[in-house]
Amino acid sequence: MERAGHLPGLSADAVDWRTLTFRRGAETLDVAVPVLSEAQIAELATRVRANARTYLRSRTVAEIAAAIDRAVARLLDRDDPWRQKAERLLPLVTGYDAEMVRLGLTGYLKTFRGPELRKFIAEDFANPAVLDDFQPMPKGGFARAFGPELLLHVWAGNVPGLPLWSLISGLLVKAGTVGKLPSAEPLFAGWFAQILAEIDPQLADCIAIVWWKGGDEAAERAWLARADTVVAYGGNDALEAIRARVPITTRFLPYGHKISFGMVARSALDAGKAGAVARQAAYDVARYDQQGCYSPQTFFVERGGRVSPREFAGYLAHELDALGSKFPRRPLSMGEAGSVASWRNAEETKGFADPSRALLGDPAGSWAVAYTDAADGLSPCGLNRTVTVVAVDRLADAVPGLAPYRAFLQTVGIAASPEELFALAGALGAVGVTRLCALGRMTAPEAGWHHDGRFNLLDLVTMTEIEGSAERAADIFAPYTD
Amino acid sequence: MTEARLVEELLAFIAAGEADEEAFNRMALAVFAHQFETNAPYRRFATQRARTLRTVKSWRDVPAVPISAFKDLTLSGRPPEECPHVFMTSGTTKGVRGKSHHPTLAVYDRSMTVNFRRRFMGEFDRLRMGILFPTEQAMPNSSLAHYLALARSAFGTAESRYFVSDAGLDVDGAIAELSRAEETGEPYALLGASFSVVHLMDALAERGRSFALPAGSRILDTGGFKGQSREMAAEEFYSRLSATFGVPRRLCINMYGMTELSTQFYDDGNEACPSVKSGPHWIRSRVINPLTGQEVPRGSVGVLVHHDLAHFNCASAILTEDAGVEVDGGFQLLGRADGADAKGCSMAVEDFLKAARAS
Repeated sequence: MERAGHLPGLSADAVDWRTLTFRRGAETLDVAVPVLSEAQIAELATRVRANARTYLRSRTVAEIAAAIDRAVARLLDRDDPWRQKAERLLPLVTGYDAEMVRLGLTGYLKTFRGPELRKFIAEDFANPAVLDDFQPMPKGGFARAFGPELLLHVWAGNVPGLPLWSLISGLLVKAGTVGKLPSAEPLFAGWFAQILAEIDPQLADCIAIVWWKGGDEAAERAWLARADTVVAYGGNDALEAIRARVPITTRFLPYGHKISFGMVARSALDAGKAGAVARQAAYDVARYDQQGCYSPQTFFVERGGRVSPREFAGYLAHELDALGSKFPRRPLSMGEAGSVASWRNAEETKGFADPSRALLGDPAGSWAVAYTDAADGLSPCGLNRTVTVVAVDRLADAVPGLAPYRAFLQTVGIAASPEELFALAGALGAVGVTRLCALGRMTAPEAGWHHDGRFNLLDLVTMTEIEGSAERAADIFAPYTD
Repeated sequence: MTEARLVEELLAFIAAGEADEEAFNRMALAVFAHQFETNAPYRRFATQRARTLRTVKSWRDVPAVPISAFKDLTLSGRPPEECPHVFMTSGTTKGVRGKSHHPTLAVYDRSMTVNFRRRFMGEFDRLRMGILFPTEQAMPNSSLAHYLALARSAFGTAESRYFVSDAGLDVDGAIAELSRAEETGEPYALLGASFSVVHLMDALAERGRSFALPAGSRILDTGGFKGQSREMAAEEFYSRLSATFGVPRRLCINMYGMTELSTQFYDDGNEACPSVKSGPHWIRSRVINPLTGQEVPRGSVGVLVHHDLAHFNCASAILTEDAGVEVDGGFQLLGRADGADAKGCSMAVEDFLKAARAS
């Protein structure tokens, strides 16, 4: 039995626990998640807020970042018991291949080492000292950035470790933090808080990691009412339900479901390069079985290269097959298998009616590539390693068809020459794409990434200004005034 | 075998009252042969899966067409223009509707009536009926409209009537009929789409009305809610149904059918949910893993495949998108088997389509 969460000041015996059971093959893991009463929610919120006010505000950002860096270093250390526990239990909980989790964790955690944390801060603040004290402003006067005293994170998704992104962003702006664990992966965020507690107990007292059952309106309302700012991840229906319950004076930062895709220019399709490009594209598809918002669901491939789009689909299929042996897909629930099967079946039957379509897939259904010549545009696939290759005369031709999905577009993995890259970037940005990256990097955004085009830290803070007038007026009252 | 001969054999098969494995197999292979020979898209589909007249030895080998294929392919042994009856799905995803062509409704109607009498009518030859669905004239391509019209003409008394028209749900008419049944003590049957039943229950609740229908009265609902009414869990639905109309839950019967079939499944009432559903001897079901096509161990959840010999013109074997589990006496239906628990933040098809429609 693993105990999830982090409840500073509450004794475990005073809390109700509920058990979530995870199974993988013959192995099972029971995870106890806390179910708090309204009184406990109130108590915890008050404590986190008070601790953040007294402790976090008195620290410099550099000191906080140093503590985070030490915690991340422990998670990067393969000999550390926390790291070993993560490597052992996360595959069990999420179902992902153990090796994929191990590599994924390392890559992901590297995003939060000390130097990378400075990138986060520098991306959003020209003068990071503005988080510590009043700094002179170009327009005159002084300003200081304050993070919320109580920042509530509603996490979703089962890409291991994902909560770390917003949790660390909050700490960097000195926010008291309450995070709601996702039921699909309720462990990692709590572990991180506990590691921080070993490094800096007072810092960890500014964090609570809690849980409530999705749809438990009473618990959700109780937390929403107490937060200054709410960051929430999930599908748009879920986010809409939360937004309806957030008090109007509370800042609400939603991150909804997104769709991402890839683009391969003919310049990347000569015989020498196409294989490597397909390998990187397949890696983006296979990583975390397309559960991330940055996972590609379609590849637009340009005609006219030495390797045709149809051949590229074959390359991609081959690479997905190879990755399937190296990192087997996690076992699917019947619902997920149903989604994959209905997508596959639909693509296959379209092929009977239309010879310009084809479906490549292994008989066991562990991956599939649909190919189409038709001007189909972007379409979601069945997830879990299924993808569509759409042939286009020019990559730019694909862009106008994206416009209806402006609100849902996110990452584009791209293989093109510098000139093409910049030309496409302008067009893609105009229809709502917020991130372009190399193929093979789609699922690993760099430190300081502007998630969905927003600011990680800047969106969290409010500025307090001392206008020039106040400064000048103050002079009159100085004891040393003439 | 000619189509006429096949129809004759199917009618006799249905009339036989039962079929053992061998008899079912023989008939299934004859139906498969007919479809393979007359239906080019189905032949392509089967051949792609290496299922031909030579390799299919048992009904279990007959390749099941995914129901989505009814949207993209014309699956009909007879040219569509020669089929006077076309049933279409209500699904409006991307505006494409699945179609089932029927050169004759003789088999469909026999399948329906034999089964309906056995599973719904109980001790009665005819019952006074109220129908919560549009007429066949209003919805000529709806298999459910045809089904309910047939129920009325074959098993309803002359006074049976519809409560749904262009003007919507006739709540006053329903109240008058239900009150009349209460007063006369004549058993009454209420039949319709599940969502219409919800609308009626809501309207009655608004007026504070409930009924105690006479002993022997029964209710048949079908089709789920399809976004046309609020979703209700089965347990709540049947307990409210029973409370609103005074019909015991064992006589609240659910029919599970689809446009892509010619035979329906019934449960024996809904005292316990989920109920156990079963069909007559000319349809058999399997529970498979949709990705591998392999049957799952008995008792495990999978996706339902139906082998409906009465659906002779299109494809008798269909792969549904319904999750189910095989139990004693039939199967339990567990809802749709897709996207039920997409966990990540990657966008799934449903949301995408919703967005596309909104924009």
